[in-house]
Amino acid sequence: MTPWKRCLAIAFAASALAAESPGKAVYERANRHFVAKQFNESLAAVEEALLLDAKLVPALTLKAKLAMAANRYDLASEALERALAVDPKAAYAQFLYGMAAYMNNEMKEALSRFRRARELAPKDPRAALYLALTTESVGAPSDALALYQEAVRLERATGKPSADTLLPGARLLLLLDRIDESEDWLRQAVKLAPNLRDAHFDLARLLLKKANPAEAAAEGERALTLSDGVITDSAIHYLLLRAWQQAGSPERAAVHAATLRALESAKR
Amino acid sequence: MLRSALIALLFAFAAPAAEETAPIRFEEIAAKAGLRFELHNGEAGGFHQIELTLGGVAAFDFNNDGCTDIFFTNGAAVPSLRKTGPGFSNRLFRNNCNLTFTDVTAEAGLAGEGYAMAVATADFDNDGLVDLFVAGVKGNTLYRNLGKGRFADLTAKAGLANPAPKWAVSAGWFDYDNDGWLDLFVANYVEWDGAKEPRCGTPERQYYCHPDAYRGLPNQLFHNNHDGTFTDVSAGSGIGSHIGKGMGVSFADMDGDGFTDVFIANDSVRGLLFRNQGNGRFEEIGLEAGVALRDDGHAIAGMGADFRDLDNDGKPDLLVSGILNDSFLLFHNLGGRRGFEDYAQRTGLFMSTRQLTGWSLGMYDFDNDGWKDLFFALAHLMQLDRYLGRESILPNRVYRNLQGKRLEDVSAGAGAAFQAAAAHRGAAFADFDNDGRVDVVVSAANSPAKLFHNTTGGKGHWLGIRLRGVRANRQGIGATVHIHLADGRDLYNHMTTSVGYASSSEAVVRFGLGSTDQAASVTIQWPGGRIQKLANVAADQLIEITEGTNQ
Repeated sequence: MTPWKRCLAIAFAASALAAESPGKAVYERANRHFVAKQFNESLAAVEEALLLDAKLVPALTLKAKLAMAANRYDLASEALERALAVDPKAAYAQFLYGMAAYMNNEMKEALSRFRRARELAPKDPRAALYLALTTESVGAPSDALALYQEAVRLERATGKPSADTLLPGARLLLLLDRIDESEDWLRQAVKLAPNLRDAHFDLARLLLKKANPAEAAAEGERALTLSDGVITDSAIHYLLLRAWQQAGSPERAAVHAATLRALESAKR
Repeated sequence: MLRSALIALLFAFAAPAAEETAPIRFEEIAAKAGLRFELHNGEAGGFHQIELTLGGVAAFDFNNDGCTDIFFTNGAAVPSLRKTGPGFSNRLFRNNCNLTFTDVTAEAGLAGEGYAMAVATADFDNDGLVDLFVAGVKGNTLYRNLGKGRFADLTAKAGLANPAPKWAVSAGWFDYDNDGWLDLFVANYVEWDGAKEPRCGTPERQYYCHPDAYRGLPNQLFHNNHDGTFTDVSAGSGIGSHIGKGMGVSFADMDGDGFTDVFIANDSVRGLLFRNQGNGRFEEIGLEAGVALRDDGHAIAGMGADFRDLDNDGKPDLLVSGILNDSFLLFHNLGGRRGFEDYAQRTGLFMSTRQLTGWSLGMYDFDNDGWKDLFFALAHLMQLDRYLGRESILPNRVYRNLQGKRLEDVSAGAGAAFQAAAAHRGAAFADFDNDGRVDVVVSAANSPAKLFHNTTGGKGHWLGIRLRGVRANRQGIGATVHIHLADGRDLYNHMTTSVGYASSSEAVVRFGLGSTDQAASVTIQWPGGRIQKLANVAADQLIEITEGTNQ
């Protein structure tokens, strides 16, 4: 699940946080628009809700999400600061603040916000996951891996394990040459989300590293048929080019090379 | 069975033991050596892309006194691209042969004009004097070395004055058709117009745009006409058919077919590998060879490149630097047309460089143990401080090559001054004091250049080889050299000045020999195919080998 899909999912739950407030009904309308990806309508409604109740924390977090959708991380941080001034223990606002910082490459800030979010909601796998991602990107892979493992554990405890939580950890395990553990996580991810191209792609990469090009090619070809995920067609074609080369099928490799070049030309 | 075991044991004892090597150490001596240069990028708050990418350095012996001199490129005012004061001058420093340098820019006529980026050195006219090509933003300059410390701008006469000048970030010399005359490769970056600079960020919080905001450019290849002029063969050779965002350029005969191939590290688009077909045409095979992208299909922000044999198997491997969270790439050459495999993860380089941003680099045997080590000039992109929560300046890094299998970061032990951070950019490699240990000169944006004098101890023997081509080009650029040692080891290198990022290194093929004080044989394959072999060459000397003679 991408960060934005997570936000949309969380938006449903966030409405419950809006206690009785003069702005509650308008906020709920804003939230419905957000879930429907009607961002302009959502923004208008959230501003209206905040006029009715400037301290309505769910409306402030929704405003932050809208700002993040428009790449205005400065405005998102501003709204979240207001939310946290009203309720310093608002774990979701802390989490979102961390996300705004993470998306804006402000890693020091992101670390501190995700850590605080973890303290406020220790059973929330999202905070653990994003703290892991941030920790990995600041160069502490061992700590990051422990956090990925914690995120997976917390998610399993909810009874709703997800491929999106398994994949970043599996990738790090692969980079750390912990091939068997990575494969275990990747196969779980494929089982949980059989239509997610990212899971098949990463499994294909692992299989290629394990000198199993035929199976890698099969997984890669499967990934190419799927649309759900963020891995690009180009990345999959590049993988397939090498997998088919190593599997002794230069003709099939050549097809992927030609497709990659066509994609490059189209991009220009 | 027992007999087999005993024979195996005998061979085990005969195999060369791993040698004790001293820690790689450098002393920073620029100020002490009189090498006073500051690279100025002309930034004045306009967030012009050109301000990020300059800094080429050359190590070359312009006056043939046997002591390697240094040339620095420099920026200019932005957006006028004029060198409005002496602070923007390119600079030539003569090596006084005692590890001090004298600024001889004015006498040499090399102060230059415009916003310079890169330098490529070679004797393009085979007159025995090393010439200079300075690449830059909207203008390149070819300087012919006239001797007696003077250079002349030959650009227009040579046919290199471009009516539609581009932004070149690197350049290099190689003889692609083995006709004995060096040809010129120019790596172009992106279309840029200071008046139309895209704006990124918010008005309150502007930053330098990502390269995606600019259109890429094709590279250029100029054929040497043997008369001081060049012909643009970019179209006919196939080089000009590929758009990239060229940064580092490096050369090697990757498939052993006797023709030099070209790798271009591109910024945020895939790398290009041009296979020289030997008929004046190049085939771009980066994808097929497995060097175009990172293992996961991601196009890194490729910067510097070096194309040398890292594991002494006789096949040149490929090293490419990138930016934060890219990891640097290392590709192991499988030989022939089999392409390359990822080697960065296996050697430990991938995870170790994930938090780095690298510009120039080089594969040189700093401890003379027989294995080429790695040097990286580092700095994150300017103004990332506030985003990263730490400074964008970085100290450089040096990695020891552990028998071609692992790369160990030994920077912490490389000396106190080595730990100093700066906005490092270009780097050139040479033995400036002729003591057999490879030194490094590094430029840094808006701060003093550094000269890292190699003070590594230990007893590593060495051999430096200067080539003198007769049928081949005068400097033997493109020649491959194979050394066989009495203990059974084989070492490989080749002659190129095109190393790293925007920079140019000494035209000497160097080898560390470890504890062995003699090369049992030295075999040179000259461009064009002539093979020459010398036997029992004593170590710890710089020798000159003339093509076709045993001297």
